[in-house]
Amino acid sequence: MKRLLLVLVALALFAGFVSAQEIAVVVKTGNSGFWQNVQTGCFDAQKELKATSPKLSVTFLGPQSESNVNEEINIVESAIDRGVKAIVLAPSDVTALIPSVKKAKDAGIPVIILDSLLGGDANNYNAFLATNNDAAGRACAKEMIDRIKKATGKDTGNIAVMSYVAGVGSEIGRVGGFKDYIAKNSHLTIVTTQYSNADMVTALNQTTNVLAANPDLVGIFGANEPTAIGMGRAIAQAGLVGKIVAIGFDGASALAGFVKDGTLQAICVQSSYNMGYQGVKLAYSIAIQKKPVATKNVDTGFLMVTGDNVNTTAAKNVLY
Amino acid sequence: MSNMQAQKKDAAGPTAVIPSGRSRVPVDRLITLSALVLLFVIFSITAKNFFTVRNVLTLMLQTSTITLMGIGVTFAIITGGIDLSIGSVVAFTGTIAVIAANAGVPIWASMGIGLLTGVICGLTNGLLITKLKLPPFIATLGMEMIVRGVALTITNANAKPAPDAFGALGNNTIFRSGPRFPGIAYPILIMIAMAFIFHFVLRWMRVGRYTYAVGSNEEAARLSGIHVHRVKIIAYVICGFLAALVGIILASRMVTSQPNSGSGYELNAIAAAVIGGTSLMGGIGTVAGTVIGSFIIGILTVGLTMAGANYFMQQIVIGLVVIGAVAVDQLRSGRK
Repeated sequence: MKRLLLVLVALALFAGFVSAQEIAVVVKTGNSGFWQNVQTGCFDAQKELKATSPKLSVTFLGPQSESNVNEEINIVESAIDRGVKAIVLAPSDVTALIPSVKKAKDAGIPVIILDSLLGGDANNYNAFLATNNDAAGRACAKEMIDRIKKATGKDTGNIAVMSYVAGVGSEIGRVGGFKDYIAKNSHLTIVTTQYSNADMVTALNQTTNVLAANPDLVGIFGANEPTAIGMGRAIAQAGLVGKIVAIGFDGASALAGFVKDGTLQAICVQSSYNMGYQGVKLAYSIAIQKKPVATKNVDTGFLMVTGDNVNTTAAKNVLY
Repeated sequence: MSNMQAQKKDAAGPTAVIPSGRSRVPVDRLITLSALVLLFVIFSITAKNFFTVRNVLTLMLQTSTITLMGIGVTFAIITGGIDLSIGSVVAFTGTIAVIAANAGVPIWASMGIGLLTGVICGLTNGLLITKLKLPPFIATLGMEMIVRGVALTITNANAKPAPDAFGALGNNTIFRSGPRFPGIAYPILIMIAMAFIFHFVLRWMRVGRYTYAVGSNEEAARLSGIHVHRVKIIAYVICGFLAALVGIILASRMVTSQPNSGSGYELNAIAAAVIGGTSLMGGIGTVAGTVIGSFIIGILTVGLTMAGANYFMQQIVIGLVVIGAVAVDQLRSGRK
């Protein structure tokens, strides 16, 4: 009798659980300002949509670090097992997440991809919202070339690239676009590419070492938020503020501070809030309203924030 | 195992009742020290600007993280345990110190609170291992996850800027005399001080000898009247304290709290201890050896970056060095 009661209670809870409409947002890591800003966008969208669908719930999860791909796979698969209505996913690896996304598609769960490219068949997912990382990388390269020319009068010299996690889709686009533009539009030489694994102190140490090994460096590029912050600190500690053209990425308040005091000449800020907001709204319209997808690839845009425009409203909207 | 115990009795000498740790140390130390010098010479030749005063000081500053954590984890490993939570403790304690500083607590007091937090984490580890009899691997693994989770929860995973004065510890130097000599950074002085203090504790104080005893043969130590639980708890408290020191230094260098930092640092600390001659079986290890081991890792990391080798090459090389160091150690002890 007791066992029957237990089973009935469990079934009731399960039924109650399943009848809630869950959109699972899975990102590369729970641990960073950038993804926290995406989360704000997601929850604002949830607030708006709850007015029409009170049963809607948006869950936001991510592994401990951006390089922990296996954990991300587990989170996605557990969402599939829970029977969520849609998955919004920022894949931490361009190929490793393909099987899980395919599983979701086979289970009839629409998938929206955020921020980083997912390889394989594009029919596995319903939409792709991202900064055009390739375009952003090229814009950073153009900014660097222009500023180096202004500072030294030439388009030759040594530069360094401080990247974050090799193999992730956003890095392939961003750093790939940067290097390609540099190669095609200048005679600058990239002396080294370092990978900080998205750890601020590692980026600080690597930048310090690179600056010490290459005293003639004219430019340096930090390709994501913790890397750019560590790089900025290293430049300040080495006493090279204003003596090297430094371009950063992402809009954390520490980076905006660096732009204001001249440590970094420019930061390329992604619209992380927008990614979360539009991602959830799109997932809702596909999964619950059953609307067809208007555009498959949505460019959420970026803004080059420099000393000149850092205090404008446009900049303030993307900085966090 | 019994072979090693017999050797220990020989090394201890006829009058010692309590074993005092392996004293074949001098020859081992010479091998690792010569490896260190060799690496330094190689990189001075092959890497640009490696052999400069400024760079040596930078090297010491960057390695101090691994050295301090390594010294702490050496104590834990000698007792026959391990501490996997130190990476998370680094992140957590730095975060707590910055939160306190931002709330208006004087800088030195916020740093004190950070250190205290580390001590509490170490104490918790020690209690889990002694009173609950959890295997050290499991206890510290669980603590690693809990402490990391708490750090992320209280900060919402955001890195928060600290007041400018907070950066003094990590960034200021003494003896600065113009551009030729950039000065010795405080963290370097802290590292040197802690190395001497804890070398003294391990080698000359009773609690140090008891630590070796517990690690060599816990049952014999207990029967000799040593408070095994107390010794182990002290070892883990030292570990937590030094991890907290690193956490505060790093938060100060970045002038930011980073609840996401420190991931994987424990592995470098353990590698430093192992390269320096600490045995994962327990009962063997020295502070001096760990310091040398940490500098081998430090020189490899800095030298390879400056020589232009990429990050992945560093991983491979450091891994090979760890294996090589332990292999050499095993071969030497096998020959006796």
